[in-house]
Amino acid sequence: MSRSFRALLSTSLKAYYRNRSAMFFSLLVPLIIMVIFGLLNLGGNHTSENIGVVDLAHNPSSQLIIDNLKKESVLQVDFGSQAAETNALKKGDRALVVVLPAELGAIQTCAPRAVGCHPGPKPVSIPIYTNKAKPQDAQIATAIVTQFFAQSSFVALGQPGGVFKPVVQVLPGQNTTYTDFLVPGIIALSIMQTGIFSVAFAFVQQKQTGVLRRLMATPMKVSEFLAAQVTTRLIMAAVQVAILLFVGVVFFGFHLAGNVVELMLACIFGSAIFIAIGFGISGYAKDEQAVPAIANILVLPMMFLSGIFFTRDSMPAWLHTVSDYLPLTYVVDAIRSVAVNGSHLWNLGTDVIGIAVWLVITVAIAIRLFRWEVV
Amino acid sequence: MSDARRHNLTVTATFPQTGVRGPSPQGLAIKVEDLRKSYGSLVAVDGISFNVRENEIFGILGPNGAGKTTTVEILEGLRDADEGHVTVAGVDVRRYPKRVKGLIGVQLQSSAFFDNLTLLELTDMFAAIYGRRINARELLGKVDLHDKEHSKVRQLSGGQKQRFSIATALVNDPRVLFLDEPTTGLDPQARRNLWELAQALRQEGRTVLLTTHYMEEAETLCDRVAIMDGGKIITLDTPANLVQRLLDKGFRGRRVEREANLEDVFIDLTGKDLRED
Repeated sequence: MSRSFRALLSTSLKAYYRNRSAMFFSLLVPLIIMVIFGLLNLGGNHTSENIGVVDLAHNPSSQLIIDNLKKESVLQVDFGSQAAETNALKKGDRALVVVLPAELGAIQTCAPRAVGCHPGPKPVSIPIYTNKAKPQDAQIATAIVTQFFAQSSFVALGQPGGVFKPVVQVLPGQNTTYTDFLVPGIIALSIMQTGIFSVAFAFVQQKQTGVLRRLMATPMKVSEFLAAQVTTRLIMAAVQVAILLFVGVVFFGFHLAGNVVELMLACIFGSAIFIAIGFGISGYAKDEQAVPAIANILVLPMMFLSGIFFTRDSMPAWLHTVSDYLPLTYVVDAIRSVAVNGSHLWNLGTDVIGIAVWLVITVAIAIRLFRWEVV
Repeated sequence: MSDARRHNLTVTATFPQTGVRGPSPQGLAIKVEDLRKSYGSLVAVDGISFNVRENEIFGILGPNGAGKTTTVEILEGLRDADEGHVTVAGVDVRRYPKRVKGLIGVQLQSSAFFDNLTLLELTDMFAAIYGRRINARELLGKVDLHDKEHSKVRQLSGGQKQRFSIATALVNDPRVLFLDEPTTGLDPQARRNLWELAQALRQEGRTVLLTTHYMEEAETLCDRVAIMDGGKIITLDTPANLVQRLLDKGFRGRRVEREANLEDVFIDLTGKDLRED
């Protein structure tokens, strides 16, 4: 790092740090939004355990078990195919999934003098799947369900543990509470807001007041100046992410599953897209008044269509498809996958490609639109 | 009164890092030949030529839109010309604008600086841009801003802002200094203070090129002036010669000039002390 770059970076950081309104919007506002939505807790609380039942037997025995399971007041029972239910489990929508195997209810006969064989209902293993990320729910539901099968065995055979043998298998998955959905959303939202607004406002102002002109009258390296400005915003984005993560984990019980370094990388590349958009706006906007208008045309649709506060599941199909391609969608999806699912960046094909493509597009537009002078 | 004397003394103190410079071989700080610049159909600078000698204070005068600022910006390397040759401090500006920028000092008409930084921090930043190690405190003291070094630019008065602007133009110890309307909007006290600063800088061996709308300023400060109009230099000479030529043509002012004018009265009554703290 050259001395001039260090000087430009440190002055730019100091100026940003001392700018009260910039600090307010980049640090306090995201926290306020997080607290408000966190308190609203749009995901809701649950008083019963949600379990999934996969019925492969479809016979009177399985029907009897299902009817009895439904009578358990603390269980909320859903039915589905094995694939659908496993998926729901991994997303954190089920405390556990019970599979009723095809041979359930079969009668066995025993060879004479066979050891350990009792004529009557054939013993079957009952696979039970739980979600590793939801240990408390899994524990409660497993206790209820094993107890249930022990009783059923007793009823069917007159001795516990004979017929139904629950086999618990823990699957990797996620525990998506609303907070887990919200925190990555707020992180993505704030790096978008900071990237776009802090660059667009600052550069339109510096252009209008003549700050840039004064600098252009020195032998300053333009690349160093821009690098210092971008680095300042990237550092601010990283600070934002760290603070939001900290508050999310400590005060809202956010389940941070992923690697923090990879999460930061996703945030920094995402931030770079929005910084480039900010440079583009600063070149296009005639004056400071034009900045919020232009910026909000881009920011507001993304804020509501990219799945920041709510999932995009309830969107009409065409809108869902459109929103798939928004830069903020790629960024928030990447952040969620890393932070909540513990995915690695190199496994996030679409999101990483989406971020890279948008970065190239926005930087190209920024280079085209950016101006040093008021035209 | 002691305040006014302090101002006079500080502005005449010389730069510790300024070496004594002899005139360059040609004795010219700025050489402009047949300079042209148009914006679309508007001809801003229409084929002007002039020289500025080493160590002189040279003024460019002219009404708004005469092409002064465009000319100065071309000389500063901020704008490229369409045609012509420009040499500043011995360097071809159109070929090596960045090299020229490193040799000159520039005060722009509306100089602004980053908000939220102190004068010391800004001065150090400028020094770093030029790759210079300077004593920022001493430099601010030279333009009489030693007690403002921890202030922000927006807290300064008009005259202080201009003096700070000149301080940032001095971080690289430039041979040639450009001052674009340095006293516009200043009160008489601040204006006189700035004149003293300009003269002190020339005393140190620098060349000063300034633009102004104030004829009194040009008469007081400038060794020679060029008057521009419509993109052309319509005359170039010492202020005394220009006045004499007009008188020789038989011109007589409507009012006979008295020994003093209203500004002298103003200064006599209000004193020369700067009113900015």
